[in-house]
This record gives sequence, structure tokens and C-alpha cells, in this order.
Amino acid sequence: MRQSEEDREKLGAPPANESYLTDGTTVMSWLNTRDHKRVGVMFLVAVVFFLFVGGVFALAIRAKLLYPGPFLFDALTYNRLFTLHGVTMIFLFMIPAIPSAFGNFVLPLMIGARDVAFPRLNLASFYVYLAGAVLAVWAMVHGGADTGWTFYTPYSTTTPTTLFPLLLGIFIIGFSSIMTGINFIVSVHTLRAPGIGWMRLPLFVWGIYATSIIQVLATPVLGLTVLLVALERVLHFGIFDPARGGDPVLFQHFFWFYSHPAVYIMVLPGMAVISECVATFSRKNPFGYKAIAFSSLGIAFVGFFTWGHHLFVAGQSVFDNGVFGVLSMFVGIFTAVKVFNWVGTMYRGAISFKTPFAYICGFLFFLVFGGMTGIAVATVALDVHWHDTYFVVAHFHFIMVGATIMAFLAGLHYWFPKMFGRTYHEGWGLVAASLIILGFNATFIPQFLLGNNGMPRRYYQYPEHFQALNVASTAGATLLGFGFLIIFIYLVIALRWGQRCEQNPWRSKGFEWLTPSPPPTHNFDQIPRITQDPHDYRTHAPSGVYSDV
Amino acid sequence: MSEAAALPPREHRAHGADPHLAHHFSSLERQVDASRLGMWLFLSTEVLLFTGLFTGYAVYRYSFPAAFAASARTSEIWAGTLNTAVLITSSLTVALAIHFVRAGRQRAAVVCLAITLFFALAFLGIKAIEYTAHFHEHQLPGRYYRFESVRLPGAEMYWALYFLMTGLHGLHVLIGMTVLGVIAWRTAHGYYSARYYVGIELAGLYWHLVDLIWIFLYPLLYLI
Amino acid sequence: MTENGEHHSALPYFLVWVALLILTITTYLTGRMHLGTWALPLALTIAVTKSLLVILFFMHLWEQKGANRIVIGTSFVFVALIISLTVADVATRFPLATPAGAPFGSDIPAQFEEPAPEYQPPAGKIGEPPRGVPEPK
Repeated sequence: MRQSEEDREKLGAPPANESYLTDGTTVMSWLNTRDHKRVGVMFLVAVVFFLFVGGVFALAIRAKLLYPGPFLFDALTYNRLFTLHGVTMIFLFMIPAIPSAFGNFVLPLMIGARDVAFPRLNLASFYVYLAGAVLAVWAMVHGGADTGWTFYTPYSTTTPTTLFPLLLGIFIIGFSSIMTGINFIVSVHTLRAPGIGWMRLPLFVWGIYATSIIQVLATPVLGLTVLLVALERVLHFGIFDPARGGDPVLFQHFFWFYSHPAVYIMVLPGMAVISECVATFSRKNPFGYKAIAFSSLGIAFVGFFTWGHHLFVAGQSVFDNGVFGVLSMFVGIFTAVKVFNWVGTMYRGAISFKTPFAYICGFLFFLVFGGMTGIAVATVALDVHWHDTYFVVAHFHFIMVGATIMAFLAGLHYWFPKMFGRTYHEGWGLVAASLIILGFNATFIPQFLLGNNGMPRRYYQYPEHFQALNVASTAGATLLGFGFLIIFIYLVIALRWGQRCEQNPWRSKGFEWLTPSPPPTHNFDQIPRITQDPHDYRTHAPSGVYSDV
Repeated sequence: MSEAAALPPREHRAHGADPHLAHHFSSLERQVDASRLGMWLFLSTEVLLFTGLFTGYAVYRYSFPAAFAASARTSEIWAGTLNTAVLITSSLTVALAIHFVRAGRQRAAVVCLAITLFFALAFLGIKAIEYTAHFHEHQLPGRYYRFESVRLPGAEMYWALYFLMTGLHGLHVLIGMTVLGVIAWRTAHGYYSARYYVGIELAGLYWHLVDLIWIFLYPLLYLI
Repeated sequence: MTENGEHHSALPYFLVWVALLILTITTYLTGRMHLGTWALPLALTIAVTKSLLVILFFMHLWEQKGANRIVIGTSFVFVALIISLTVADVATRFPLATPAGAPFGSDIPAQFEEPAPEYQPPAGKIGEPPRGVPEPK
């Protein structure tokens, strides 16, 4: 826990010999690790890979949409591309990204533990994820499905494209999600260091804890749903088949009962990262710690009550439309509470405009717009106009990319020194952040306009008068792609040639900064006894606890 | 060198620590609590898994009340009732197994686990007889339905749900049997003691869940 | 591991077992009576009672930490949530949008017609326009 004197003084000096990175350098020592940090790094590599795969699919789609008529490839390929874009981005990147990569690395450090509650289950969750991913990739290579990532029946039960391995892959990845969720919940309950009560948990932990609750409760329903579709295709039981008395809308109920909470599985960890970064880069205590903490739980629970807003025009009853319309409004309240508190934290703080802070700015802007348009489409009368148009596409990309991926990048840059003991080039970081924010705006604001003007989503061809906005959107997507590429390049360079950093380069009061960067395998020489709140920038820590703070 | 670095520093392992205690837990009690909480979380995922099927049942039962009532009357009620008693008794025996291990009576515990396995097998056997009867009577799901005595719309839906729910449940019985088998072997070879019996406890919890699901399946599929 | 004094006897387990069997017989007998609309609530009440007995005593939830109780309690809340709102949808829909016109059409006996023909994708290779369908202008 206590950084040795010489390490504190030598800012550019090599770190201590032992860290989790050097502790065993064979491939097997990585593949057979029990160390949550190594599992986190392996997840990080995997999800970044799938981020790029999904991004390539997205660029292909946008390339096609430069022209209103047939271009580059045919309609069936286009359908497959948007399906695989959705499946890759959601199941292979966004659901596992922040929890399994950063959560795994940082959560035990933040609660003063040596590992997660079930280290072997943690490693298993990685292999289960890989198995599901392999199946999904196999399905992609064999052409992939053309149903959209939402797999609506009756098309999904009758389409001749390769759906079965994709469904099986998603089913298996669901298990990985559940394992991670169970691990984190139990860790937070049973592994907290002395002095870390519930009201002293770092806000990141609160967010991950709430996410884990959703993962545990919602994912099994997804598992059953994809299983039912797979069985339908093979055995023809007719559960969703109107000719047998079945109800296709029932599938939508099942699917969205998971998939709406799933969007909170994606966005809550992002909010958790932002809570950490806002406190650190404002050097100020969080405004309303309890509000932020409890609103995470609020989002987790209330998110389960709102799934019917995806079925507004599907034939759901007017009564349910009303119920879900009202309930969907409530979930916005918790997000608003968080935004208010983050801004309140930054107000009169000592802002340090580093790369993570640039992403915070992007995050806040995009979350507010994405959230407000979410409330807008949750209004039944408006959704009748906007459902299945680019308006909805823009709304959820504002949240998923604009908010969540910004938060992912913020976390990546914030914890890069912690994970690898090196710093990246700050100038390039800001350049990339600007490109991404600019590119994102250019990509998705035209889509709001397109959708409102009536362009449907998932359409291969469109009327000519939509072309200008589509070209603008594709141009933005290209910028966005360049931004990601630049990030990838300078981070990989930093991994190998980056300047080595001290233990706490951000001067953060987060508990994970109590350990060396990168940490040793066993995290702490002695389990710390915490006497301060996390994010507490008012009280001086006892000298030597945080280096140079 | 890498091996030595992988272990926690020697001075941080509690003096005379229990060999079951993992290095990242402060005490065995904490570890056992963690295992239990993890198991309860896993059980709640299983509950949510079956919930989808119960929802489908609720929706289609609401839509086709006559067909569901008529089809339930033609199910093998004796088999369902007997299976309920079998599973309840198997729950008793697995609870007794844990009780005996806590009392230090390993052999009685192994006997109880063996009896539990026997009941599980009996459950599957009765189910097999039932399924055979259904196949003969053409009480089959979806488009395979050809049962003459009940010709109502929605009867196929009842049987689709019947086979899905009992099938998924049967799969869980198989998994439970495997788990119990492993645990029984380990108990017989002295892995557990009055001080440390977490494995049996967790396996027992899983088995009780299998029983719980059946407690709800029985009236819904056979009686009403 | 702490030893609970109460569990030195196996009697509680047998008592719970007998209660469960009695409840099973009860549900069997009441299921055979024609109770109309009360059949389902009664059966569910008995099932819930049985499951509470199993959860609290066989699974020892009675003596365990609050966290475990909250976990399983929460999952049951969500079970109720998904079932109630989904059934509410079907129950309140415009009648012709429900499966097979249910519940109004459900007493009409169906004939065993041949099952609807297997869905055949339109003839032609995937990706080409189906044969017999006019080309879009």
C-alpha cells in the first residue's frame, strides 16, 4: 500500500520489478490466470477487437448509404451487415466492455480486496465469452443472419439465413454476463476492506453493483428467448406462430424484457466511470454522493419496468401502452439526477482538462441529448411517427456511442496508467477526442433529421431527397473511424514506448490509486484500513498514503 | 521466480489457516457466506429463466382457457402427483444429508445423497413413461398435435408449453443429478466435514430449486 | 462454522416434509373439484405456501443473512412484473389482435385440417428478386 520512498521521488524511474504484468510471462500464465487484473486485460483486448469489427460493419453500412440506389453490395448483404453490426456491438462489445474489462481490473482494488470473490469463475467467464464470440464469428463468416439484432418473429423463425449459431453464441455470452454479475455482487458484499462501508464505496463500484443486479436478473430471460427462437426453427413448436395460436408480439415482450435493461447494463457502467472521472478531474468531492449512488440502483430497478415502450406500435394494447409510457418517464429522472450532480461537482472545481475530461464533456452533452430524445420517443403519440425511423437510431446511438463509448474511452485513458504503468501522449489524446466528438455529431445529428423526415431504418434504398443528409452522416462516420484509429495507434505506442508514470499521475483520491501502477499480483502488501471517503478532496490524507497528494 | 511471486507473501497467510480458506477472504466464515450469496444469485437467474415459460403459459392460458383446461384433464395426473411426492421426498433426503454431515455422520449423509439420486432417477423414469404415453396419444406440440379427444384451438399451445417446461425442468434434474453425484462421491471420500460442508449445501440449494419449480409446474400443467 | 443448536435434531425436516405432502394432497383434491375461477388462485396459493416452506426451512433462508433473502425476494418481484404486464397486454388488446381471436373465439372447436404448409421462401436464389414478382421500377 505505501509507496516506497525512492519510487515516489523518481518520477520517470522504472516501476518495482514485480507487477501483475511481469509475474509470469508465459502464455499459459496468462491463459490460466486467477488474477482479476489479467482477466480484465484479456477482456479489454477482446472487446476492443470486437469494437473494431463492429465498426467495420458500421462503415460498410454507411458506405452503402452514400447512394440511394444499389451500391457496393446487395440488399441481403446489407441486411446481414446491420444485423451483425448490432449483434457485435451490443453483445460482443458493449455489454462486457466496461464491467468485464475495467470492472474486473479496478473493482477489487477499489474495495481493498486481493481479488474478486470467485477468481476461477472470473476466468471461466472470459472463456465462456470467447466461446460465444467464436460461435458468433462462425455465424458471421457463414453469411450471418438478416433479421436485425432484435430477431423479431415470425421472420427470425423462418429466415433461411444462418441464425442458429448466432443465437447459440448469444446464449453462451449471456452466461458470461451472469457470471460476471454474480462475482461482482458477492465481491462487494463480502470482500470490502475494513473501513469501507456501503456509504464509502467509490461511485464506480455503486454503478457496477447496480449493473450486476441487472445482469443477474435480466440475462436469463434473454437466454430463454433466444433458446425459444432456436427451438422454433428446429422443432416448429409454434410458440410464436399465429397459425398455431401463437403470438409474435409475445416474442417482443420476452426480448425487450431483457433488452431494455440491457441498455442500462451498457450505460450504467459508463455513468460509473464518469462519476469517478468527474470527481478526479474537478478535484472536488462529488456533489450528492448518495444521490448518485442511489440513482444507479434506481436506474437498475426502474429500467425493468419500461420494456413495453419498444412495442408501442407492435400491436400492444392501449392499456399497456399507457402504463409503459408513464413508467418510461420515471427512468429519466434518475439520469437527470446524475447529470445534475456531475455538473454540480464540476462547478467551482479545479478542472484539469485532460483527455478523460474531454470525454466527460462529450459524454454529458450526448447523454443529455440522447436522454431527452429518449423521453421524446417514449411518448406514444410521438413514437407513432418516429418508430423504426432514423430518429430512433440516432437516439440510441447518442446514448450507446455518444455516452457509453465516450465513457469507455474516458475510463480507458483514466486507468491506462494504472493498468500499464505508462502514460500516453496527451496531445494526441485531445486530438482524437476532438475528432471523435466532432465526427459523432456529424454522423448522428443528420440522422435525427432523416428520421424525423421519415427515412425508415434498416432500409437498403431510400428516396433521393435524403441523400444529402446520408452523405453528411457517412462523412461523420469516417471522421469517427479516424478518431478511433488514432486512439488505437497512440495507445499501442504508449504500451510499448510510453513514458513510465508514478503511482498516481492524476492525483486522484480513488482507492485504486493506493496501489502501485501497475499493481502487484496480490494488489496490496497489507489490506488497507480506509479512514477517508473516496473522492474526498477536502480532507488531507495521512502523508504517504497517496503519493504526492 | 514467477511461482514464488504468485503466492501472497507468506507473512500474510494467517497462522494455521484452514486449507479451504482462499487467500483473498479474511475468514472461512466470510468465504462460506460469499459462496451462499453467489448460489442464491445463481438460483435467482434460474427462476428468471423459467419465468419466461411461465409468462408464455399465462398468456396462452388466458387466451385459450377451454383448451388448457381440457388438455390438463387429459394429462397423466397420477404421474404428476407421484412425481411431486418423489421430488418433495428427495428434497427431504438432501436436507437430511446436510444435517448428517453437520452432525459428523458421513456415512448417513452419503446414504441420504444416494437415496436422493434414486428419487431423481425415479422422477425421470416416471417422466419417461409420461412422455411415451403422450407420444402414443399424439398429444404433441405445435403442428404435430393430433389428439382426437381435445380439438380446441390452443391445445397445441398447451402441449408446446408442457414439453418446453417439463423438458427444461428435466434438463435441470439431470444437471442436479450430476452435481449431486459428484458431491456424493466427494462426501464418501471425506472432502466435507462438520466444519466445512459448503459443497453439499450449494448442491442441496440447487436441488431444492428444482423441486420448487416443479411445485409450480404441477398444479399449472396437471390440475387446473 | 457456527453450529445451530436447533439443528441437532432432524425432526423439523420431517415436519416440513409431512406438511408439504399434506399440501400436495390438498392441491390434488381441490384441483379435481370444479372450482371455476377460484381454482387458479387457490392452486397458486398452495404452491406459494409449499415453496415458502421449502425456501425457508429446507433451504435455510430463515436463518441466513438478509442479502440472500433480498436476492430471492427481488427475483420473485420481477417474476410477478413480467407475467402481470405481459398478460395485461393480451387481456386488454383489441380482440381481433389476440391469438386466434381469443378469448372470444376459443370455444369454437377446430377441425384437424392439414397444418399450414411449411413456409417456403419465394423460389429463386437468396439475394435475387423472387420469380414471378415484378421488378421494382
